[in-house]
Amino acid sequence: MSLGLLARFPSLSHAYRTTRAATTAASVWGMYKVPEFVRKRLGRPEPKSLGETHERAAKKILDLALELRGVNIKMCQVMSTRSDVFPPEFVRTLKLCHDAVPPHEFEVVRAVVERELGKPIGEVFAEFDATPLAAASLAQVHRARLRDGRQVAVKVQYPDIEDIVAVDLKNMARICRVYERFDPQPMPLLPLVREMTEHLALELDFVREVDNAERIRAIFAGDTTVAIPVVHREWSTQRIITMELVEGIKITDVEGLRAAGLDLGHVVNALMSVYVRMIMAAGFFQADPHPGNVFVRPDGQVVVMDFGLCKELPDGFGLGLFELMFSMMTMNESAMIRAFTELGFRTKTGDTTTFIELAKRMLRRSGTGRFEGEFTEGMTDELFEAVRENPVVEIPTHFVLVGRVFSLLSGIAHTLGHRANVLAAMGVG
Amino acid sequence: MDRLEWSSVELLEREPGLEPLIASGVRCHGGFDADGRYRSPRTSHRMPAIAAWQARLATDGHALLSIPDSLLPPHHPNVAQARLLLLEGVREPIVRALTMISIVEGFGAIIRDVPVPDLASLVREPIEGTALAHLSGGLFEAHARDEAGHKDEGGHKQMWEAARDLALDSPKIPSDILMRMMGGARARTRRERLFPRLDETLEDMLATMVNVLVIEVFARGTFDWGETLLSDPEISARPKEAGAMVGYIRADEAPHVEYLRTALSEVRARTLRTVDGGDGELLEGRIVVDALLHRALEFTTRQRPQEQRNATRTSITSSLEKVADAARVRSLLERFDALETPFSPSEKTGFEAAE
Repeated sequence: MSLGLLARFPSLSHAYRTTRAATTAASVWGMYKVPEFVRKRLGRPEPKSLGETHERAAKKILDLALELRGVNIKMCQVMSTRSDVFPPEFVRTLKLCHDAVPPHEFEVVRAVVERELGKPIGEVFAEFDATPLAAASLAQVHRARLRDGRQVAVKVQYPDIEDIVAVDLKNMARICRVYERFDPQPMPLLPLVREMTEHLALELDFVREVDNAERIRAIFAGDTTVAIPVVHREWSTQRIITMELVEGIKITDVEGLRAAGLDLGHVVNALMSVYVRMIMAAGFFQADPHPGNVFVRPDGQVVVMDFGLCKELPDGFGLGLFELMFSMMTMNESAMIRAFTELGFRTKTGDTTTFIELAKRMLRRSGTGRFEGEFTEGMTDELFEAVRENPVVEIPTHFVLVGRVFSLLSGIAHTLGHRANVLAAMGVG
Repeated sequence: MDRLEWSSVELLEREPGLEPLIASGVRCHGGFDADGRYRSPRTSHRMPAIAAWQARLATDGHALLSIPDSLLPPHHPNVAQARLLLLEGVREPIVRALTMISIVEGFGAIIRDVPVPDLASLVREPIEGTALAHLSGGLFEAHARDEAGHKDEGGHKQMWEAARDLALDSPKIPSDILMRMMGGARARTRRERLFPRLDETLEDMLATMVNVLVIEVFARGTFDWGETLLSDPEISARPKEAGAMVGYIRADEAPHVEYLRTALSEVRARTLRTVDGGDGELLEGRIVVDALLHRALEFTTRQRPQEQRNATRTSITSSLEKVADAARVRSLLERFDALETPFSPSEKTGFEAAE
């Protein structure tokens, strides 16, 4: 059935979304439970690996997300970053969601813009490109020119996305509750849905995103090494954001950066300095540094975009993280325990020596066996995997987010042939 | 001649049987011998080794480089200014300053990650039996351990924290410390290369050694300041222990200055091969080291003091404004300024000849 057709009948559309999500969930559950039931009845041993089942299940979820879009895509994106909860096959497959979001038609976008601004699109914009620059799970971005000649980028929220989000979240929560009720060893999915509900409410509020952008701009006031686009508040609303069009070379475009005569080591230093300053020093950061959100101008200035997902860190977090890195660099175990505890890590048994095991697991991925200033993707994967295997440990959600950001930065730095050294980026000494 | 070759195990070896130094509940490196004298860590072989390398340098007719005390800018705020703030109940700038010192000390550990190139192929003359040949063979690692601590033993980072906590009764640490430390608001730019014909790793290593040496030498002012201030019974809760702690750190720093100036003097006494290769393409080590020293000293004696003064001023003003009205802020700042130590940077660094 066509979703476009269904969209004209909201209650039918909601029913379809609910049914489609429920059948997919049941089918995925069955992929695991039916063979397990049969195996137990026949007294066969446990399979060595569930890798193939994970692959098929993840593919089914991905297909659902790409069809229903909205929150389902967001959920896949969140799942793909939570290697502390999901097996690697899920993480790998669901990562495809980042690049596979189909855009909405221009007429849909125009309707939103005109409704939000209360006037025909041509009265505000001299030009408005019908082809989007980028499309994501909740909105897409178009290049445009204001009537005074200024080039802008306009981020437009999809119509009815709030309703769709509400229905999808309700479905997800319901499915998770049923799953947790009936599965003898359920994965902790409900906290993920709760976390997503919280994040989505923030991301759908474009007024808040504008505030975030201005707060980040203030952190870098007077700093010529960073560019944060200026938002035109008069042409921004709850559902659209009109901002300065800042163009640059995509941060992972190695050839483009080289062609512009940029030293890739300098680019990595500048990028790390921006994020370390937000996370360690300011305690407020843009938490989504995927390559589509970070650009570099030919003069080396780093451009950061998309402030839908920004996070405020607890007071003292930066110093706590610094102490953790430091203790892992010197292998000072008592300091590690102090730092983990200060950062909000908890064990259900109260036995803090588990933290040492966590640190050692992470450092297994380091060549020297001690922390060398970089949170690599391997290290954060190792940490999350250790937590998944040992549910005794609780990681604070903001640490998960920071770990994910540093691991994304590490991926970018390695693409450019360098290391994402957090300690070096602090520039102390 | 005394022994010139040492293994890294020997250079990192600790004196056995010392009474451990425990400060604020943290076991620190170093300890006390049977006579109650403080003994720095990892010095039983390291100090004789450095002395032997220095003696050989002298025997070969080469000078040991030295940075004159006259270049040293005064610590800001000076002791009188810091006392004034503490006695007036404005503790935050001093807590901030002491915490920053501890963090910077801890960062000294990154010296162990400085890549050391194949010196035997880049230096024309032999380097056996020199400090230079032992940099990656224990000297850098010992230095890193002294600064940041090693395993469950605290180093200078933890010792400065202990001195602060002893003197100021475990104060609340301002949460804006890292913001202020990174407050230059600029991405760290890579150092300009002065000798593009030189192997890049070698120039980077020498530049880092020079910078660390300058920081270590100029830290004398910080030690004097810390020791005097924190042992003042009028402002310190535990004057004897806090002052002594800074004294122990000062003692531990001695081998750092000595090995760095020895190794750099050994480079000055040699010739360096360029990337073009061959003996026809050589650079005098003296020219390279002196140019690097000149640049580091110019920055540290001219630009850095002003930057530090500005940062301290901001720190004081923001803290004062939290606890005092505008009139009191003005009056305190006037009294603070009146206690300033005058300083004019020296016209010359003494290393200009290489320019």
